[in-house]
Amino acid sequence: MMLWYKAWRESRVRFLASSVALAVICASFVFLHRDVSPGMSDEPLTYPVYIWHITYKGYLRELFLFLTIFLGLGGLTRERDLHTIGYTLALPVSRFRLLAVRSAVGAVEVVLLATLPAILLPVLSPLVGQTYPPSQAWGFAILWATVGTLTYAMGLLASVLFGGEFTAPVAACSGLLGYSLLADMSGAKRYLSDIHDVMSGLDMPYFTEQTGLLSGPLPWATLLAVTLGTALLVVIGLCVTNRQDF
Amino acid sequence: MPDTHVIETHQLTKRFGDFHAVEALDLNVRSNQITGFLGRNGAGKSTTIKMLLGMTHPTSGTGALLGRSIDDPRANREARRHVAYVAEDKQLYGYLTVEELIRFTRSFYADWRPDVAARLLATYQLPPQRKVRALSKGMRTKLALLLALSRQPELLILDEPSEGLDPVGIEELLQTLVGAASEGTTIFFSSHQLPEVERIADRVCIVDHGVLVEDFALDALREDYRRITFGFAAAAPDDELLIPGIRRVRRAGRQLSLVVSGNAEAVAARGRSMNAVTVDVAPISLREVFLESVQDDA
Repeated sequence: MMLWYKAWRESRVRFLASSVALAVICASFVFLHRDVSPGMSDEPLTYPVYIWHITYKGYLRELFLFLTIFLGLGGLTRERDLHTIGYTLALPVSRFRLLAVRSAVGAVEVVLLATLPAILLPVLSPLVGQTYPPSQAWGFAILWATVGTLTYAMGLLASVLFGGEFTAPVAACSGLLGYSLLADMSGAKRYLSDIHDVMSGLDMPYFTEQTGLLSGPLPWATLLAVTLGTALLVVIGLCVTNRQDF
Repeated sequence: MPDTHVIETHQLTKRFGDFHAVEALDLNVRSNQITGFLGRNGAGKSTTIKMLLGMTHPTSGTGALLGRSIDDPRANREARRHVAYVAEDKQLYGYLTVEELIRFTRSFYADWRPDVAARLLATYQLPPQRKVRALSKGMRTKLALLLALSRQPELLILDEPSEGLDPVGIEELLQTLVGAASEGTTIFFSSHQLPEVERIADRVCIVDHGVLVEDFALDALREDYRRITFGFAAAAPDDELLIPGIRRVRRAGRQLSLVVSGNAEAVAARGRSMNAVTVDVAPISLREVFLESVQDDA
């Protein structure tokens, strides 16, 4: 139980700061709707389209991805840099358990982050005279949570491979960028989905751009593939961790 | 169990690229003793300890901690339940308070003794509500010791335990270690502080360049080890001295200096038979043995 506590304490500040940042920006987008919306398009945007553009496809999505990578940082390699590794590894606990607990706590934090817009958008929209369907918000929350755990795992793996305070986030962000570029290449498009598009629904059969609303069943097969990708990254992290010298 | 070994290594080797951190180390640490583990900086002491605790994987060779293989993660984890370890830098989780860290550590060990923890907390004057990151190095060292000594481990491994402590703290530490040993805990500690080692250790192992160069009981050092110096009228002869017990031979001009671990009388007689003008037999300190051991290979 105390390992869960350790993982929570190590990520608590980052999680709370991320939550506040996401919540403040999400709320700002709702309250600044009348000021921001006219500048986004020549034609007036409906409120759901505005929300989709600015949050699910826009700044909030990018911020969310960055924050999930940020949450994935830390772990044993970082502990080596901080010189607490001797204490941690002398505990009668396997490295597998240490990393598995950290991954689980991080995954829960990512899911909670993903649900923030799902809670805030339907709750705050009436305050500016608009409505946003909760079913839409929760649909996007599922997409964000699934993809967010993948980018979290990228941060986690980068932290396993690179201990440096700045090296790991740069490596993870580069990995994310590299994957997106690869997925956008014409030859790879048939086999890979750009995770940005999976999150926003852009050019996806389950989303209608004109209404800004999810319009079909969620892409469960794609989400399963993303989850398997997440699991693969975590397993690679576990294998590397078990072989590392500290 | 007077003759069992809590630490055993056989040809234990660790290489980092071309650097041989530990080379074919055959180390046997007996139970119910205090063993000092000596060596210069970079001699391989910390790497050896890390291999014993499963933090670093050996390149080759084998080892056992409390009879359990260090190569088997599961067995090593089981051994660590009965081992307390104080790392060289004594860094602990800075984001926890002293009290939280004690609670955290306690949860992993069935042999935790709350009364001892409370007593040490008071003795060391550690503020329970203070964040670990706000502690001085000396207080952090005391906290690390509290976490190790509040249990009744079979084996206590300490890497440079007195570093960061003031003289009073060092004295308390030495007394605490002797007390723990008297309660049945085997102690294995690395140190550069030879007077401390000489005061409390029963046995000493010296490593140099990753190789075990000496392993002796301090009683033997006091009773059997001698420095024998022969003075000659001319240059010291380079005859080979094939007498058991001779550990080191050093020739300098007309002097021949030897360190022997026994047979001092026979060696002295051999010197006289070589026409030595003076034969001086003197006790030798741990410091001298240490310097002799590590300087030869420098």
